[in-house]
Amino acid sequence: MRIEGEYTFSGTREDVWEIVRDPEILSTALPGTQKFEQVGENEYEGRMNVRIGPVSGTFGGKLTVSNEIPPESYTLTVEGTGKVGFLKGTGDVELLDQGDGTTLMKYDGEVQIGGRVASVGQRLFDTVSKSMIKQGLEKLDEALQARSSDAD
Amino acid sequence: MTKEFIGKRIKRNEDPRLLTGQALFVDDVDIPGMLHAAFVRSDYAHAKIVSIDTSTARQMPGVVAVYTAEDMGDEWQPGPPLVSPPPTVEDVVFHSRRQAPLVKDKVRHAGETVAVVVAESRYLAEDAAEEIWVEYDPLPAVVDIEKGLEPNSPLVHDDLESNLAAHLSQEKGDYEAAKAQADVVISKKIHIDRGAAAAMENRGIVAHWDEKGQLLTIWDTTQAPIPIRNGTAARLGLSENQVRVIAPFVGGGFGPKIMMFYPEEMLIPWISMKLCRPIKWIEDRRENFYATTQERGQVHEVEMALTKDGKILGLKDDFLHDTGAFDPYGLTIPLNTQSHVMGPYEIANFSSEFKVVFTNKTIVTPVRGAGRPQGVYIIERLMDAAARELDIDPIEIRKKNLIAPDAFPYSHSIIDQAFAELILDSGDYLPTFEKAIEMIGYRQFIEQEQPRLRAEGKYVGIGITPFIETTGVGPYEGARVQIEPSGKVNLATGIGTQGQGHFTSFAQIVAEQLGVDVTDVRIITGDTAEFHWGTGTFASRGAVVAGNAVYAAASGVRKKVLKMASKVLDAPEEELEIQDGMVRVADIPRMSISLGELAAQANPLRGAVEPGTEPGLEATDYFGPQYGATAFGTHAMIIEVDPETMLVEIKRYVTAEDCGRMLNPLIVEGQVHGGVSMGIGNAYYEQLHFDENGQLLNASLADYLIPSSMEMPPRIEVGHAETKSPLSELGTKGVGEAGTIPVPACFAQALENALQDFDLEIAETPLSPNRLYELLYKKEQ
Amino acid sequence: MSDLFNLSLTVNGAAYERQVEPRLLLSDFLRQNLGLTGTHVGCEHGVCGACTILFDGEPARSCLIFAVQAHGHEVLTVEGMGTIDNLHPLQEAFWEAHGLQCGFCTPGFLTTLLPFLEENPDPSEEEIREAISGNLCRCTGYQHIVDAVKLAAEKMRT
Repeated sequence: MRIEGEYTFSGTREDVWEIVRDPEILSTALPGTQKFEQVGENEYEGRMNVRIGPVSGTFGGKLTVSNEIPPESYTLTVEGTGKVGFLKGTGDVELLDQGDGTTLMKYDGEVQIGGRVASVGQRLFDTVSKSMIKQGLEKLDEALQARSSDAD
Repeated sequence: MTKEFIGKRIKRNEDPRLLTGQALFVDDVDIPGMLHAAFVRSDYAHAKIVSIDTSTARQMPGVVAVYTAEDMGDEWQPGPPLVSPPPTVEDVVFHSRRQAPLVKDKVRHAGETVAVVVAESRYLAEDAAEEIWVEYDPLPAVVDIEKGLEPNSPLVHDDLESNLAAHLSQEKGDYEAAKAQADVVISKKIHIDRGAAAAMENRGIVAHWDEKGQLLTIWDTTQAPIPIRNGTAARLGLSENQVRVIAPFVGGGFGPKIMMFYPEEMLIPWISMKLCRPIKWIEDRRENFYATTQERGQVHEVEMALTKDGKILGLKDDFLHDTGAFDPYGLTIPLNTQSHVMGPYEIANFSSEFKVVFTNKTIVTPVRGAGRPQGVYIIERLMDAAARELDIDPIEIRKKNLIAPDAFPYSHSIIDQAFAELILDSGDYLPTFEKAIEMIGYRQFIEQEQPRLRAEGKYVGIGITPFIETTGVGPYEGARVQIEPSGKVNLATGIGTQGQGHFTSFAQIVAEQLGVDVTDVRIITGDTAEFHWGTGTFASRGAVVAGNAVYAAASGVRKKVLKMASKVLDAPEEELEIQDGMVRVADIPRMSISLGELAAQANPLRGAVEPGTEPGLEATDYFGPQYGATAFGTHAMIIEVDPETMLVEIKRYVTAEDCGRMLNPLIVEGQVHGGVSMGIGNAYYEQLHFDENGQLLNASLADYLIPSSMEMPPRIEVGHAETKSPLSELGTKGVGEAGTIPVPACFAQALENALQDFDLEIAETPLSPNRLYELLYKKEQ
Repeated sequence: MSDLFNLSLTVNGAAYERQVEPRLLLSDFLRQNLGLTGTHVGCEHGVCGACTILFDGEPARSCLIFAVQAHGHEVLTVEGMGTIDNLHPLQEAFWEAHGLQCGFCTPGFLTTLLPFLEENPDPSEEEIREAISGNLCRCTGYQHIVDAVKLAAEKMRT
């Protein structure tokens, strides 16, 4: 399943980069996150509660960041498993300086799902994933603005 | 004269129990001390199992046992092959690979059984199953059958060189020579995808090992209790007489409840013996979607050679057949497809080669139709293409090629699913074809109605599809009939019922022979303790094979009755008649004896009997047909397509059926209605969507749409003809699958006819509004 | 295991008091705790309608209701409609019109139709089809069910 989209942050590319690479902020951004810890230089482990239509459950998983070109782009790899199935995905994230103090984030990735989330949640997976990503990015944007207003 | 019951619309003996909630289904079995099982199933379609951690689950409240393949030790063994595979065809290839009770090395389809938990309740068993952690090493999955045969494809079974499960070719005449002489050659590539049987009752098993009595009783939602009994006994090292399998009321079978030896069927009895406790497992709907067998996936490349006036000279059909992860059911389905691709038509030159392909998907075994709908779809798509190409009326081109009534028994000169020559026992195809044409008003529709509605901007179309259905195959079934001193009659037969009305149609046969009322015949069907010879309910064979066995046994009892009554009443047998539960001397009503009294006298408590006398008024008999009986008919429909939404409404539906002699037309019509509804699902609503990783994406009845009352046409008009089968006394042919078989073909024909403005060619099934829209969109591009 | 709740309810006119887990489904309660196995479970997700019962007179899916939600309420199952020797006219009509084959979905159809026919004593075919559109049957193609409902309406009117 393909997941792609874009989001405009109201901040510079450098500031956005800092935010999206800050595990503490990330841990608060994604809805349902119960735990999010850095376990290696570019590796994080976490647990997250997800509800997709009739299916809900906790996914435990790993997030790896690679191909980093600060502050332009990186690749995210996610692997999660839980009682209700599994999820695996890789996506490229690109940050584009818009020249007006905002930054455009483009993301494009492929996700594989299996188990109960796939067999009965598939129909809603697209909508749920989009709304989760949107919520997460909005949270990050809020954090970005909070940070810049702190700095002011 | 004995009262006639055969051929009458008689309401069913079994219904009062079903209507009041008093009929026993497997899930209703409740035994003190019974434990409940829940399975851990693979989330992956293809993956190596690295480890299974059951430690937490084993400690959980109410959990009695947890088993993995490792825990089974030496007792782990795959299921038996069900239908002996390699037929006597030259160069046939068949690799038998069978499902295991629990996966040992790697999982081969999503939903395969990895571990089982046994607990005090189903709730607790499921709680614990969720705490079993399985670590997988995922492998790329084989999903597409064409890609599955490419040299670089991943392998479903690593010990094989490729995913080829079987390969078989059949030839009749010389197709290439026929093609060289043809005026026109039509060729097509046709895709047919999978659907589910989706019986309303999911599968289930209760096994009860009685340690003190050394008896194993199994209640199983199976269509074939006797093979399950024998196979279970062999697997568990028991005598066949120590195992009793009961198929009580079964909530729909439609094929997948056949003698599969599903993993659960192998495990639950084994666990019952291990724990000396009754064990129940009931499948849930999601399990049913990926653990119960499915069917229909095939890709055909087909060619038809014709003269310019529409006479078929030859047909060549090469196809791939998706068998899923294993092939326990041998070659039944692809052979059925081959057997029906020539269908009701006379085709002198035929060449067909099929390759069966392993994929990382749910196992494939017959589903109502069993390869036949595919065969009919193929030939009928080509007939329509040829009619268009040659500018011949689609009715005329079919008429031109139907097998003539004087050609029966007609051999198609290839082998069928029983590996015997495919002989059509009897038939007269034109009358049912013309009857359907007349019932639906074909001429009037084409000449008046369609142009009128078309002018109003309505896209209406018509389809008319003749078909055959091979039914009533061997080997044999049996029955035992006994008159009790109460005057009631007992009938026991081996095949189970899944709603076909055996309690009634078999009772009609017995009642007519023995002069009792249909309601006086008590039937036991599908209990191996009562009858343990036979195979099962499949291939539309109940009314043919078991029906004739019942007839033979009932005739045997009738003979005994007459012989004995002749002595008792001191009158010649020819002067006796049996009616209303009495044997009478014709015209002398005083001279009579009740059947009950005769039965009592036939089982004396004192005195001497003549040597060689058999006690009681009882007989057991068998019927095994020389070959199958072939039913036939024609379906027709009128549809309207909404060009905006691509929603299709079936405005009229007509069938003209010939299933030989009908035992009970009410039941026959019910079978046809139900078959048509499944066919409509197959044509337009029901498709199992597997993604490229082998994940089934619509495993619920919310996402997999089976027709509701709103999707059905307002009426299914059923017309009958009766061409008796010469192969049996009753002359019956099967009808269980007939309703389903021609529907997708007829639907495609009607669609093309409705959308002729768009010049749309349909070469796939199932369709859906989305898919139709895509096809039209592609066409416009 | 969680705490048990006291549940009292009326089923088919009889009062019951039981202690149940809060997660126990009403369908399981009826089948397992009360032995009323006429209510069948076909999909566990509220689509097929086989488990339909009457909840205070209204059709409801017993697989989507927790048993505790029935506390203080009245439930009617197929066992409460009629007996083998004394069928309800709706059951009789299903018998006469061959409105069932395997019979697994039948109890859900009957419970759905009972209040429907009480409210619509003379329904059209279209209305009948709509009334049963939430109940799935894989055997009959619905035609004989529609016929049965028409016949039942006739029987119940007289």
